[in-house]
Amino acid sequence: MNMTPKLLGVFAQIYGSNDAMDFGKAALVAVVGFITVLVILAIIALFIKAIAAIFDKTSKAAKAPAAPTPAAPAAPAAQPAQPGVELVGVDEPTAAVIMAIVSHQSGISLDRLAFKSIKLSEDK
Amino acid sequence: MDLILNVLKGLWESSGFATLEWQNLVMILVSFVFLFLAIHPKFRFEPLLLVPIAFGILLANLPGAGLMDDLTAGQIFGGDGSLAGQGEHWYDSGVLRIIYAGVKSNIFPCLIFMGVGAMTDFGPLLSNPVSLLLGAAAQLGIYVAFLIAIALGFNPQEAASIAIIGGADGPTAIYLTSKLASHLLAPIALAAYSYMALIPLIQPPIMKALTTKKEREVKMTQLRKVTKTEKIIFPVIVLVLVALILPSVAPLLGMFMLGNLFRECGVVDRLSDVAQNALNNIIVILLGVTVGATANGQSFLQVQTLKIVALGLIAFCFSTVGGVLLGKLLYLVTGGKINPLIGAAGVSAVPMAARVAQNEGRKYNPTNFLLMHAMGPNVAGVIGSAVAAGFLLIMFQ
Repeated sequence: MNMTPKLLGVFAQIYGSNDAMDFGKAALVAVVGFITVLVILAIIALFIKAIAAIFDKTSKAAKAPAAPTPAAPAAPAAQPAQPGVELVGVDEPTAAVIMAIVSHQSGISLDRLAFKSIKLSEDK
Repeated sequence: MDLILNVLKGLWESSGFATLEWQNLVMILVSFVFLFLAIHPKFRFEPLLLVPIAFGILLANLPGAGLMDDLTAGQIFGGDGSLAGQGEHWYDSGVLRIIYAGVKSNIFPCLIFMGVGAMTDFGPLLSNPVSLLLGAAAQLGIYVAFLIAIALGFNPQEAASIAIIGGADGPTAIYLTSKLASHLLAPIALAAYSYMALIPLIQPPIMKALTTKKEREVKMTQLRKVTKTEKIIFPVIVLVLVALILPSVAPLLGMFMLGNLFRECGVVDRLSDVAQNALNNIIVILLGVTVGATANGQSFLQVQTLKIVALGLIAFCFSTVGGVLLGKLLYLVTGGKINPLIGAAGVSAVPMAARVAQNEGRKYNPTNFLLMHAMGPNVAGVIGSAVAAGFLLIMFQ
């Protein structure tokens, strides 16, 4: 099954030529080509949005019944930064990213790494 | 005495010095410059690509070495197209020419795409689908270069093949050119890969010129967490969707998504590891050296080649412009939530372009971490350039 849009096929028959092409025709091909890329990628973006919406709904529905049960203590991995780490000029998400990078680069898991402080060395 | 002189004369005549021409010398110097840019600690421009390409250029321009000799209908032609002798079997061709069959047959581009797919994390793209629009806008250079190439007198197939350099995607450029204008494969492949390696030089001035300091300093918020199931569904569905609309890109996109499925499904870790590392490295060596080896001085240093190289640069620049301009538009529309620098990563060149966005962002805000945000448009650019190639194939094949 070839779903190449009929319009695109017809356009290719009219403007897709092996011979020398005048600038006007070439400009039309360029515009249609650019729009085609934009439209196809926009369709994929919409598809992603739809999938994300479905998954968000599903995960919310899955979480909802669990709400009345007593809340479990938060897992250490979910914390943006280790408790007790002194942050100077650095926000928590950035600190979490730095810790993740250090852990990844050193090959030592986060629960075995202890950070004392993370400071911004360059003042703007 | 005569004997000694004759021996010396024979040695001289059989040496490369006797047949060395200025074109070879120029290309050997170009290879030295590329090697310098790749190896010197001050530059280190994509050494994984640039070292094999530069060495391939060097090998192809050593006179008399015959590494790119081509056997056609019983006759062996040198890399410059001149008659070099007689032969009977395919293995009478030069060793690099035999390996180059993997480029011409599109085996290497497809396998490289599988490796790239296995290394690609679609998470940033899935968490911020707007990235896809940036990846589409950064294909602008393809169409601008196409128009200029037509104006310069190239036929539509040649113009389309040259223009695809703007997709900043080596495998896609080789794939399209081998189908539309195989006689231009050497300069186009070389231009595409060389410019990809030189992205850290090409993009920053454009990014700086098109954005304000305030825009460059924007810190983007954390991305939505993407589930494993979404990551598994995505490559399969996108392949089916795009390949049904543009069947001509199915080989490239199919291998790309296969590699990605290896990575995400979690049940074929060994295959994913081979595709990402061993296989990909082997293909990079073979493809890099043979693409470089196509740059024989006599056939390469021509006005047409210089036009192609110049058009490739224009395509690259306009692709960066397209991505950054849409980034600026999204900055306005979202009330300053999107840093326009990530738009430049929409030219595929994974992950170099994303790294450039990250480095440029940190220059203006040391606490900025744009890499993951830039990876979204970066991988979208791979899909975008494949779609652009599919469109051009529909039009001109």
